[in-house]
Amino acid sequence: MLLVTALASIFSVIAVYYAIMEKNLVRAVVFSAIQSTIYAFIYYMLMAPDIVLVYIPVAVGLYPAVILILISKTEKVEKQ
Amino acid sequence: MISLSTYLLTIIITSMIMNLALALYGIFFKPHLTKKIIALTILGDTANTFAIIVGYRRWVFSNTPSRPPVLVNYTNVSQEELIKFVNTAVDPLPQALVLTAIVIGLAVTLFLVFLALQIYRLYGTLDVREIKRLKG
Repeated sequence: MLLVTALASIFSVIAVYYAIMEKNLVRAVVFSAIQSTIYAFIYYMLMAPDIVLVYIPVAVGLYPAVILILISKTEKVEKQ
Repeated sequence: MISLSTYLLTIIITSMIMNLALALYGIFFKPHLTKKIIALTILGDTANTFAIIVGYRRWVFSNTPSRPPVLVNYTNVSQEELIKFVNTAVDPLPQALVLTAIVIGLAVTLFLVFLALQIYRLYGTLDVREIKRLKG
């Protein structure tokens, strides 16, 4: 059980790195959603199923939707 | 000689510390406000994960695995079942705090998104260097 959780946490580091370093903001939001999915899996493995029920709609659904609305009304690419 | 579960929990905590450092780097050194908001959500989620890890009980005996703090059969529960449940369930208090923190984080993110939208309407850009130059 903890082996799968450790692998998921290593993948979450990769997702966070790409979410921070990506210049295209839409891709950064997608990487952030991938990180949230991995975090939900980690919560499930750490015996917190009630957190998962709240966390999946908020962090995989609402955060990317709100930030995508912000991106669609403003700039799409981060300038160097 | 450390056990396997200690080693794996060390990997998890190290990954979370690296996520925290990356999110702080994104908040402090990325110039774009949308990227700062994304990094702030990652920072909050990582802090919540630390609280969950604090409440987790690592059971070194393989015959008593930990279980979620949910008592399914709560009518006519015997004392032995209750003692077994209390001895094997993880701590529910950090989970209740994290449940509140997730909702508060959503409200804070919505507020910051509307602030960023208003800044874009006033200055025409979301780059903080440009905003500083336009203000001066």
